[in-house]
Amino acid sequence: MRAEQGARPPIGADAAVVPCLPGDGQRLALLLARHGLELARHLRRIVRDDDAAADLLQDTFLRAHSALGRLRAGSNARAWLYRIATNAALNHLRSRSREDAALRRHAADVAAASLAGDRQGAPAGPDWAEREAPNPGDRRQADAQRAALWARVATLPERQRLAITLRIADELDYAEIARRMGGNEAAARANVHQAVKRLKRESR
Amino acid sequence: MTSGKSIRPTGNDTEDRAVERIVRRTYESLTGRGGEPLYYALMDDTPVGTLGLALGEAGLRRLEFVKREDEFVERLLSEFPGRPLLHSLRLEPARRALDRYFAGRDLALNLPVDLRDVTAFQRRVLEWTARVPPGSVTTYARVAARAGRPGAARAAGNALHSNPVAIVVPCHRVLRGDGSLGGYAGGLPAKEWLLRLEGAIL
Repeated sequence: MRAEQGARPPIGADAAVVPCLPGDGQRLALLLARHGLELARHLRRIVRDDDAAADLLQDTFLRAHSALGRLRAGSNARAWLYRIATNAALNHLRSRSREDAALRRHAADVAAASLAGDRQGAPAGPDWAEREAPNPGDRRQADAQRAALWARVATLPERQRLAITLRIADELDYAEIARRMGGNEAAARANVHQAVKRLKRESR
Repeated sequence: MTSGKSIRPTGNDTEDRAVERIVRRTYESLTGRGGEPLYYALMDDTPVGTLGLALGEAGLRRLEFVKREDEFVERLLSEFPGRPLLHSLRLEPARRALDRYFAGRDLALNLPVDLRDVTAFQRRVLEWTARVPPGSVTTYARVAARAGRPGAARAAGNALHSNPVAIVVPCHRVLRGDGSLGGYAGGLPAKEWLLRLEGAIL
């Protein structure tokens, strides 16, 4: 069995949230035990940033916890958590692209000001302003599409979900997918095929 | 292969480690559970019902007959206070070994177990029981004697009844002196099914 020895990351000073009641900690732990890893994976794939994913995961569980009383018994807690997480991730991406836009404007102002101050000098301006995605609108759209795709992947049956994840997130070939999932290459191919078919059907 | 409900690990170590770090941060800040994680998984619909498995750093800590996932998770949370508990793909090797066992392909079922939370007598009972090979049976009295308490068949029975790692430590191979089945945490039909699988009874 694989043993992994990751050093425990430091906890942000503002991250300490003390459960209000003894039962609260237990209920949160129950949700985290059942869905923590898969939601963290989901968030990390959308936002592609570990710190942001950790913040969003915490937000997701806090929101879920405060609304726990409203969740009807027998309703699908997993689907509900995925919805909360996906929305939180999309909001994060939106506010991030707003910040990026503000930074770019600021950079342009700085460049203009330094040009105005020294018209003989070389045009100033941090080069990172140019390195950003060429068009923030395109990136926003790509982020939203990625989030929507992973949200749909999350609803697939388990074998299909695993196969398509290995194929598109990890870019593995079918032999390797078969090795990791157990089963043969044809089965791996069939699972990916079924997943793609279903994703296409659902996106229409 | 029986199926769990959560997304499986992808086998991508870098991603798996990063994802686990993220959850552990959240676990600690929201619940105060900051120790080494305990991993769990369920096996639904095995021939002997639903099984709950828990894995620590040194081996299996639990293999139990369970009714509902929440009930198993809540019990683990109270039996392992301070430790984050995670539904994890790390139980995959154990699940695969159990699948092979139930299919009759690997009756020896060599899975590492961690018996640190049992009493000294119970540990001796379990260790002797673990030596009984598939296809054989022994008696409560004999196990009690081997564990250093001749005549304590009932105590041995109790020790076996609270075996934290059923099937892997084969307490189902221990019968009454008269050859009747005795008891079993998973129910007598399960005990009988396992003995039949192993060829100990026909």
